[in-house]
Amino acid sequence: MIGFLLRRLLGLAPTLLVIVLVSFFVIRLAPGSPFSSERSVPPEVLHDLEQRYGFDRPLWEQLTRYVARLAQGDLGLSTKYPQRTVNEIIAQGFPHTLVLAAIALAWALLVGILAGIVGAIRQNTTWDYGAMAVAMIGISVPTFVLGPLLVLVFSLTLYWLPPAGWGGLRHTILPGITLGSAYAAYIARLTRGGMLEVVRADFVRTARAKGLPERVIVARHMVRGGLVPTVTFLGPAVANLMVGSVVVEKIFSTPGIGPYFVDAAFNRDYFLVMGIVVLYSLFLLGMNLIVDLAYGLLDPRVRYD
Amino acid sequence: MSGGRLRAGVAAIAWLAAALPACQQRTPASGERVYYGRTVPRHGPTEVWTNIQTEPEWIDPTKCADHPGGTVITNVFAGLLQAHPQTLEPMPDVARSWELSPDGKVYTFHLRPSLWSDGVPLTARDFEYSWKRVLARDTASRYATLLYPLKNGEAFHQGKVPSFEVGVKAIDDLTLRVELEDPLPYFLDLTTYYTTFPVPRHVIDRLARAGLNTDLWTRVEHIVSNGPFVLTEWRFRQFMTLRRNPQYWDRQAVKLERVRLNMVESNNTVLNLYATGELDYVGSSGQLPSEFLDHLSRFADFSNYPQLAVYFYWFNVKAKPLDDARVRRALSLAVDRAQLVKYVTRAGQIPSADVVPDGLAGYRALRSLIFDPVEARRLLKAAGYGPGRPLPTITLRYNTMEQHKLIAEAVQQMWKKHLGVDVQIENQEWKVYLKALNAKDFQIARFGWIGDYPDPYTFLDLLASGNGNNSSNWSDPRYDALLRRANRTQDPAARLAWLREAEALSKEAAPLLPLYVYTRAELSKPYLMGRFSNVQARTLMKYWWIDPRWYHGVPAQRADDVAPPRPSRSGEPRAADAGRAEAGP
Repeated sequence: MIGFLLRRLLGLAPTLLVIVLVSFFVIRLAPGSPFSSERSVPPEVLHDLEQRYGFDRPLWEQLTRYVARLAQGDLGLSTKYPQRTVNEIIAQGFPHTLVLAAIALAWALLVGILAGIVGAIRQNTTWDYGAMAVAMIGISVPTFVLGPLLVLVFSLTLYWLPPAGWGGLRHTILPGITLGSAYAAYIARLTRGGMLEVVRADFVRTARAKGLPERVIVARHMVRGGLVPTVTFLGPAVANLMVGSVVVEKIFSTPGIGPYFVDAAFNRDYFLVMGIVVLYSLFLLGMNLIVDLAYGLLDPRVRYD
Repeated sequence: MSGGRLRAGVAAIAWLAAALPACQQRTPASGERVYYGRTVPRHGPTEVWTNIQTEPEWIDPTKCADHPGGTVITNVFAGLLQAHPQTLEPMPDVARSWELSPDGKVYTFHLRPSLWSDGVPLTARDFEYSWKRVLARDTASRYATLLYPLKNGEAFHQGKVPSFEVGVKAIDDLTLRVELEDPLPYFLDLTTYYTTFPVPRHVIDRLARAGLNTDLWTRVEHIVSNGPFVLTEWRFRQFMTLRRNPQYWDRQAVKLERVRLNMVESNNTVLNLYATGELDYVGSSGQLPSEFLDHLSRFADFSNYPQLAVYFYWFNVKAKPLDDARVRRALSLAVDRAQLVKYVTRAGQIPSADVVPDGLAGYRALRSLIFDPVEARRLLKAAGYGPGRPLPTITLRYNTMEQHKLIAEAVQQMWKKHLGVDVQIENQEWKVYLKALNAKDFQIARFGWIGDYPDPYTFLDLLASGNGNNSSNWSDPRYDALLRRANRTQDPAARLAWLREAEALSKEAAPLLPLYVYTRAELSKPYLMGRFSNVQARTLMKYWWIDPRWYHGVPAQRADDVAPPRPSRSGEPRAADAGRAEAGP
C-alpha cells in the first residue's frame, strides 16, 4: 500500500505541471487586459501597471518565472486586489468553502444514508417509495430554486435563520442544506442500490445463519457493503461540492472561494485564476487518491498492486 | 460552465431569488404607508449596516477608481471641502475658508488645525504630497487626469516638468496655494471628490523605511485617516467595519458609532437582507432587481432619484455606412425613447437625446427631440437610402448583460419598424468588449458615462479629440476650440454658453446616440435618518442617525429630516461651522 501511495504521489507532479501549462496559456488567450476598465486608462499608466506585474515580458519568461515561484509555493499577486497575494486570498476564502462543503456533506451523508437504508430494508414499501421519490425531487431541483425557497420559509417568513451572510453556525445551515440536498439524494439512491446488492450475498446469509440479530446484520455487514458505491461517489462529490458551490455562495453571499474563480476569470486576474486552478487540481487529485485508498478499507477484495 | 450558461443561471437565480421573497409581501394599495420588510432596527441605536456590493479594489484615495472604494474613502477621509449630502455643493471641511484670485486661477485654502486618526497633525503639506502623488507616473493612478487642471499637472504626469512646478504648494502648515491652468468654475467640486483627499505621508514613509510594500498602507493594521470614521475591521470579500473617528475635527456632527459595510454582490440577496432588517440601507453601489421595481415602488421606504449619468450608443463615424452624419441622426431620431424607458428599462429613467443631462446648475440643456420618425426617414432618404437602396446591415454590440440585451432588442425593432433598417445585435464579455471598443472595432456599441463633477464639461470632454474615452473616431477642431474657449473664460454665463454651443455642434455630427438619463432606485429603512439621495450616489454617513422610536413600533409621524444648511459659494465659514472649528483639535 505504501508503494502504491508513493507511485500515485509521484504521478501527481507531471499531471499538475500539464494543468499549469494548459491553464496558463488558455487564460492568456482570452482577449482583454486585467487593467482595462470603463474609464480608459492612459497608455503610460497601463504600461506602468503591466511592468509592475511583469506582463510586459515575453510569455515564456513569464511562464518560467511563474513555475519557479509556484515550486516555492508562491502563487503571485492578484491584479484585481492589488494589496493581496493570491496565497492570502486563497488562505482567507478556502476555509470558508471547506466549512460550507463539510456542512453540505454532513447533511448529504446523514440524510442520504438514512434514506438509503430505510429504502433498502423496507424495499418496495411505502417507506421505500417515499424516500426514493424525495430523492428524485432532490436530484431534480436545482440549487437556485431550493436556496430561495429555503430563504423564503426560514428567513423571510419564520425569521429563524439569516437569509445570507457568514458568521456563526446559523449562517451555514441554509447554504449547507441547499448545497448538500442534491448529493443527499444521490447518496440515498446509491446506498439503497449498494445494500440491495449485498442483501442476498453469501456473507449476509452466513450472518443470518449464525443467528445474529437483524439490527447487527444491517449495521455491521449490509451497510458496510452498501456504502462502497457511495464511497466511489464521494470523491467526485466532495470535489464537486468545492468547485460547484459558486451559485450557492452567490445566493447566500458566503465568503468562500467559489465565486472568486468565476470573477477572477472575468477580471482577467491571471494569477488568481491560476492559483485556484492549481488548488482545485490538487484537491481533485487528492480526493481521487483518498477514494482509491478507502476502497481497500471497505472492500477486502481490493488489493493495491 | 460556459459563459452563456452561467449567465442564464445567474439570470434564473436573479429571478427566482427575488420572485419568491417579493411574492411574500403583498403590494400595498395606493396611499397606504407600508414598508418593505421589518421596520424595527436590528442593530444598536448608533449602528448601521449597509452594502457596498463588492470588495473595493483600492481604498487609497490616490488610486481608487471604483464606487465601493469611493464610498469607503468618502467616509473615512476628509478633503479640503465636503459635498453637501443632498445638493453636493462644496462646503468647508478641512479647509475652513478659501480665496480666489481676480483672474480666477489661484485658490488659497486656509486649513483648520486638525489631526490624523493617530494624533499626528494634518498639514497643507499632506495635501501637496497627495496631489502630486496622484499625478506621479509611478503611482499609476487611474484618475490622474482629474488633476490635469492644475498648472503643469498634465506636463508633470507626462514627465515633462519636475514636481515643484506643479501648481499646488503648501505656504505654511495651514495654507495651501493652488494654481490652475484655466479658471475652472467646477474646481471646488473637484476638492470634494475622493481623488483629492489627503493620504498620510508619515505612514507611507514608515512602511517604505521598514522595507514593506507601500501599497499596504490602507490595510487595517496600518491605515490612518482623517475623516468622520476610521476603518477598524476588513474581512476580505465579506465586510468592513467603520467606527467614529475621535480625532475628526467635526466629530460632534457624527452621530453613529459603528457602520458595517457588507460586500453582498447579488442584488436579490441584498433585497432579502434588507427585508429581514439585516441591512438598514441597500447601499449606493448595487441595483435593485429591475423586474421588481414596479412592486417595490409602492412601498414608503422606496425612492428613485435621477443620476448624473447617461446611457448611450457610440457610433463609429469611420465605419460605413455610419460615416454619414445623416444616417447617424436618422438612427437617433428613429428610437422611441419614451417607449423604451416605459416598457423596457422600467425604472423611471428619463428619456433624453442630449449628451449633457438636464438639471446641471446654470446650464440650459438642449432638450433635443427624442423621437421623430418622419424626420428620420427624410434624413435617411437624403443620405441616399430608401426602399430601392436599403441601408447595409449594421451590427449593434453590447457587453453581456440582460438589461443591455433587452434595450438592444427594442432598439433593433424600432429601427426595423421606423426605417426598415436591419440591425444585427451581438454581445461580448466585458473585457473583450472593452478591447474592441478601444480598438474602435465596432459599428454601434453601447456605453454609459457617469459625471465626475456637476458640470457639463464632465460629459462634453468625452467627445474631445484625443480623449481616451472617445470611442467614436469623431473629432472636430471647432468643437475642441469651443471647449478650450469655454474653459479659459472667467464669465460663468459665457462659459456655459460656449459649452452649449459645443454640445449643439456635436448634436449635428451625432457621434453618439443618447438614450436616457439613469435613475437610482433605493430602499432605506424609515428609521435611518440624515440620509439623502443625490445625483452622484455619494454616500455621506457623517449625517446619518437612527430614530430610536422605531424600536417600539411604527411612530405616528416620521421625524423631521433636515439636510445641513446649504453653504454660500464664497467660502465664508458658516456660523455653525465656525463654532465647530473652535471645538476642533
